[in-house]
Amino acid sequence: MQILTQLVFSGIALGMIYAVIAFGYQLTFATSDTLNFGQGEALMLGALVGLTLVGMGVNYWLMIPIVCVFGAIQGAVVERIGVRPALKIKSEFGWIMSTIALGIIFRNVAENVWGRDMRPFPSPLPDAPLHFLGANVRPMEILVAVGAVLMMAAVELFNRKTIWGKAVVATFNDREAARLMGINTSLVITFSYALSSISAALAGVLIAPLTLAGPNMAAQLGLKAFAVAIIGGLTSGMGIIVGGIILGVAEKLTGFYISTGYSDVPGLVLLLIVLAVRPAGLFGKTAIKKV
Amino acid sequence: MMKSRPLLLAAVGLVLLGLFPVLVGNPYYIHLVETISIYAILLFGLDIVVGYTGQVSLGHAGLFGIGAYAAGVVITHFPDTPFVLVPVVAIAVTALFGAVLALPALRVTGPYLAMVTLAFGTIIQILINEMDFLTNGPMGITLTKPAILGHQLDVREFFWVVAFLLVAAMLVVHRILRSHLGRAFEALRGSPVASDCMGVSVYRYKVYAFVVSAGLAGLAGSLYSYSEEYISPNTYNFELTVLFLLAIIMGGRKTRSGALLGAAIIVMLPKLLDDIVLFRYVAVIFAALVLVGAAVFTAKGRSTWQRAAVPVVGSVGLAAVSFRLSNIGDWRLAIFGLITLLVVYYLQDGIVGFVRQTLGWRGHGSSDANDAATLPAPAAAVSTSVAVAATPATQDLVAADKVLMQFGGLKALNDVDLHVSRGTIHGLIGPNGSGKSTMMNVLTGIYVPTEGTITFKGQSIVGRTSSRIALAGIARTFQNVQLFGEMTALQNVLVGLHHTYRSNLLDVALHLPRYRREDRAATARAYALLKFVGLESLAGEEARNLPYGKQRLLEIARALALNPELLLLDEPAAGLTAPDIKELVVIVRKIREHGITLILIEHHMDVVMSVCDVVTVLDFGQKIAEGTPAAVQANPQVIKAYLGGELEAPAAH
Repeated sequence: MQILTQLVFSGIALGMIYAVIAFGYQLTFATSDTLNFGQGEALMLGALVGLTLVGMGVNYWLMIPIVCVFGAIQGAVVERIGVRPALKIKSEFGWIMSTIALGIIFRNVAENVWGRDMRPFPSPLPDAPLHFLGANVRPMEILVAVGAVLMMAAVELFNRKTIWGKAVVATFNDREAARLMGINTSLVITFSYALSSISAALAGVLIAPLTLAGPNMAAQLGLKAFAVAIIGGLTSGMGIIVGGIILGVAEKLTGFYISTGYSDVPGLVLLLIVLAVRPAGLFGKTAIKKV
Repeated sequence: MMKSRPLLLAAVGLVLLGLFPVLVGNPYYIHLVETISIYAILLFGLDIVVGYTGQVSLGHAGLFGIGAYAAGVVITHFPDTPFVLVPVVAIAVTALFGAVLALPALRVTGPYLAMVTLAFGTIIQILINEMDFLTNGPMGITLTKPAILGHQLDVREFFWVVAFLLVAAMLVVHRILRSHLGRAFEALRGSPVASDCMGVSVYRYKVYAFVVSAGLAGLAGSLYSYSEEYISPNTYNFELTVLFLLAIIMGGRKTRSGALLGAAIIVMLPKLLDDIVLFRYVAVIFAALVLVGAAVFTAKGRSTWQRAAVPVVGSVGLAAVSFRLSNIGDWRLAIFGLITLLVVYYLQDGIVGFVRQTLGWRGHGSSDANDAATLPAPAAAVSTSVAVAATPATQDLVAADKVLMQFGGLKALNDVDLHVSRGTIHGLIGPNGSGKSTMMNVLTGIYVPTEGTITFKGQSIVGRTSSRIALAGIARTFQNVQLFGEMTALQNVLVGLHHTYRSNLLDVALHLPRYRREDRAATARAYALLKFVGLESLAGEEARNLPYGKQRLLEIARALALNPELLLLDEPAAGLTAPDIKELVVIVRKIREHGITLILIEHHMDVVMSVCDVVTVLDFGQKIAEGTPAAVQANPQVIKAYLGGELEAPAAH
């Protein structure tokens, strides 16, 4: 029982990270119907930049805004190089391939800059576990979960309360109409990519103390977060948190009770099943096709 | 005369391929060409999915791995299996997995499908790693070159086996893709809705495409395991999948030569990157080529400096970087990524497509159209509906009763009755948003009505798929033209004639008499249909290049190819010039003379009034009037619906 509770807690922490990356997919999908296939690499770069900054003696809490700035730039670069030309020529194949290509480039560059090894990431909190419901919970796990929720809440608040956020929502509802209303939709799309990469980069900094940081830390993360986005629906905010927790816990349980080699499988199988049965996700709305 | 040149080239190519291991004794080079051949077999298959049906598959490395491991497992667990059976088993197993992969592909497209196939590939890799009782896990499987009838093949002999299978695969794939099956694949990409409404089931052909594609990946995989003599799980990873896609787009979609070229590039490139000095030379030459190309294109006005700047800077930058790095191998993946980016945006039709475009070569689409003109004309282009005489004219061909179509709170059709008599032209008019097109979509199975009954020839069609309804005899055109853009006018009509083919994969692959007969008949018929609508001179032109008015006529020809008893025309005159409209009216009358019943949605009242026998008027999803054109025209409710307000009908004065 104690082990089970413990697995559930670390599953939730992992699931919240998936939710944050899935949230990044939602942001860009909302404004441009595209998503960054290199989202996992955005997370990895965030973690490694953070690691370097801390290594240079920058205070942990000061490092976070710098990582955010880096994430914003990285996201904007992905949008400008990988997505905008494809949107111009209306090529779905184009942005899928180019965001994949950019992801590969980022990973390869990271391998050459930081080396292939996984490195420990300093934790801002003490490592001593807290006792909770009979289980040992690492303080970092709580920070990950709380940080993830706060991050998503902040973006939601931004979208609802500020004029900039309203432009994002308008672009989501009808790109053409928003453009005609004088909203610079292409800037909004760039902005959504920046925001999406910021959340991924922050997620990287959050998760790195638990998983170690290295160029390949995010190999399956992007794919599994997509599974979460699909389970939750690409348009549902609540859905991804539920989806993330389901997947995170399922993985931890599989890893412990079956074999760690299989721990990636439940997410991928869930993805296949949800897409084969209900492509709009468990929480999303099905659109009516028009002829 | 024209045809002898490619044949000669093919013969020379075959001889060179056959003699290669004799001329070049070095096993390293033999193995290199062998690997290119094996990759090419896989790429032929990948091209079916990516190039023809237009789906992004990131799962082909997984399928390749399944093929390799199917062979490896058979050989280790059943060592007595004769060699010829091993690829057969690999093809069968992989094709089965292809069918499994196609299941989610039926529901989703684009980025979703990309992710699904990526997930599939990842699962396969995990399974190969973990199921070590079958696959020997991360240790991999070691095997030897096969033996045929007790004779152990050496490196050279095995090369010939691969070369033979390469040529066979190329021939079969080429024939499939130029047959009605290939046209069905291509139609899916052009317009899934139109495919279904032409009786070409999108579901079925997507599965076919994946199965054939997977079968080829399986064949390639099994050959690869013999070729390498060692297989391990980590070969079949994400990077290999991306490499395969890069090969397809860089070589050129929808051509076999593109697949061969792509295979050569992705096999040679890593070797090139191993040799830094050679790489520097190549990078400089490549940059020079891009620079010259950009200058020529800009001078000719086919590109602008802004557009050309990125590839120029990219390639020059690559050359410059190559002189600074001492070990290019570490940067292998980044270079692949850069190449992918450049190809995706600046070489969309691949090298083969680019060369064709620059030299002004045309695909076989246009030469096929020329051949079609020489075939003897069929007895009748438009099949006369045989049932006309047999059933009394008063019987309704279509009877829709109390049809309700609800989208959320909106009732797009509310309790609408529509009865269409055989042999008539039935007009369906109403203001925008009145439910006319919804009615069309309900009749053709694109929407399933919330309530109500619809019978066609006395049989209910509610809940049937679009393709079954189309095959039952209801053809249609679309309000916003839904042609298969990259296919020629002739090929578009041939898709409509898909139902006339009975040939299976074997008939097509071996060009058996049945297929040849059916293909000749269909081509002649398609050409005659183009003649019927006056488009025979444009038979070889790609549909997307036709002027708008001609596109609408082409849609009619394609719909007639279904041998329909009922033809639904959705705003056929929209956007047509006055002379075009006259031509259209003549064609509509000619169609009726063949005993085909028509339902006509149209905003041009002069067209409606001059050709229709009965007119039904819809407004806000409800039927407000029905009768002869004159009666409807005088109906005060109709006038109100069109002009609004409380205007009194002119008839009342």
